[in-house]
Amino acid sequence: MQIYLPIAEISINIFLLLAMGGGVGFLSGMFGVGGGFLMTPLLIFVGIPPAVAVATEANQITAASVSGAVAHGRRGGIDYKMGGVLIIGGAVGSYFGAMILTILKATGQVDLMISLAYVLFLGSIGGMMFVESVRSILRNRRGEAPKVGRRPRTWVDALPFKMRFRASKMYVSAILPLAIGALVGVLAAIMGVGGGFVMVPAMIYLLNMPIKVVIGTSLFQITFVTASVTFLHSVNTQTVDVVLALILLIGAVIGAQIGARVGIKLKGEQLRILLAILVLVVCAKMAVDLVVKPVELYSISPVGESY
Amino acid sequence: MAERMVTDLSRHIIEITSEFSGTQLLIFGAIERGIPQADGGHGVVIEGMDYDIIVVVQSGRNDMIVRRKELVGPIWVNREYRTLKNVQGYYAVTSTRPLKLILPIEQLQNLEAGMEQLKIEFVEPVTLEEQKEFRAGFIRNMKARKLYNQQEGTISVLDDILFRAILEFPANMPVGEYQVDVHLIRDGEILLSEQSPLEVGKTGLERLIFQFAHEYPPYYGIMAVIVALFAGLLGGFLSKKMSG
Repeated sequence: MQIYLPIAEISINIFLLLAMGGGVGFLSGMFGVGGGFLMTPLLIFVGIPPAVAVATEANQITAASVSGAVAHGRRGGIDYKMGGVLIIGGAVGSYFGAMILTILKATGQVDLMISLAYVLFLGSIGGMMFVESVRSILRNRRGEAPKVGRRPRTWVDALPFKMRFRASKMYVSAILPLAIGALVGVLAAIMGVGGGFVMVPAMIYLLNMPIKVVIGTSLFQITFVTASVTFLHSVNTQTVDVVLALILLIGAVIGAQIGARVGIKLKGEQLRILLAILVLVVCAKMAVDLVVKPVELYSISPVGESY
Repeated sequence: MAERMVTDLSRHIIEITSEFSGTQLLIFGAIERGIPQADGGHGVVIEGMDYDIIVVVQSGRNDMIVRRKELVGPIWVNREYRTLKNVQGYYAVTSTRPLKLILPIEQLQNLEAGMEQLKIEFVEPVTLEEQKEFRAGFIRNMKARKLYNQQEGTISVLDDILFRAILEFPANMPVGEYQVDVHLIRDGEILLSEQSPLEVGKTGLERLIFQFAHEYPPYYGIMAVIVALFAGLLGGFLSKKMSG
């Protein structure tokens, strides 16, 4: 059954969209990640204009993260003060990200920049995750316990404008969370991702936040930042397709349920290695597309319109 | 007495709804022969009365940017671009015989009959070679999107009187006012040209959403966020129920 998407202005099989939503939802339920980094390339691959894919995916992530954020909030899993600082950073970042995307569109470099951003971030994050999980598996084999204790002081502690975050039991400079939030905002605006794959490691390794508030706080921030991205893209380029976002969401809700059940049966390290491989595969696919000579060297876009 | 021709379309309005996945349009008509007056046509064997029909359908015009990828270091990047002035967003031509057998090239150019005969001008100064390459690149792109079509020899004329042409429209056809031209030709001479309007518009929810998004962007943005929050909470609630 074909459905005509009013903003993307193409006709596409609704079951294909549901299956994509379900598949990505399954993976995100299993790995506990948002899945935007998989969905945006998939949407582009099936023929949705890249700008519409990015903007719509931001809208879908708002929907996908809000109920998780609420659930974590009830359990006390959100550091609202930290979340607030991250959101301020995110709002600024998403504003600049949306502006960058608008400029890129005018100069015809949108596809390239989206691809480059994906290759860069997926490559480095996937690589790091892979190395890290292989190490921890090896450590477990040798029966060594992970080192615990007070973390050493680093350059992070030397930054000014310190704030006290009571829920995280931290006294740390506001500059770092602001910068992390801003980076995530830029990524959300130009890549159509929630940014959890950058924010969660940054919160754990850079900020040393307690694990129990990391996921909740990151979902809290993602909900607000993707909402801001949705709004900005709606205003700047009119590329948010609500119908597409809703169809993907329906698939994702169902997929995530099944994924979460499968995920429980797998070990943490195994999950992370699988996720790392998945990230690297998506990255490799996009990298190859950049390097291989395209079949059609010429492309067209209407003047004035974004895509 | 000259020929007369009546033409019509199977419909004058194409509506893009949520189930829209492209459509067909039937263009049909009848020719009344021009028969020499003297003998009233009784018992006369009429020679050279083979009529040819050319049908040209085109949408409104817009400027289009054509970009060319070049190798920069290891990757392919959009580099050179040219702006095409006022080109059709949709264009289709169909005829009774190969176009070049029907009319001389200059006449085809006047009618913009055939993709090769389209008048395409550039905003930027271009060399002859660039003109050829960007033009060809543009047409290839439009053909790949099924927005430009050329089917020669697919119009059938029944008894030199009735003719019908079927045109395909893809789902991504631009909206707006279209123009359908039917040309009646004999012996390299255009006898008659008929023009009919065709309107393509979005209707129903599709149109509402599209108009809302383009006319009130901030409110659309807020609506999109509220819909997402509500749908997300509902989805979360339902999956909690499902998992017991």
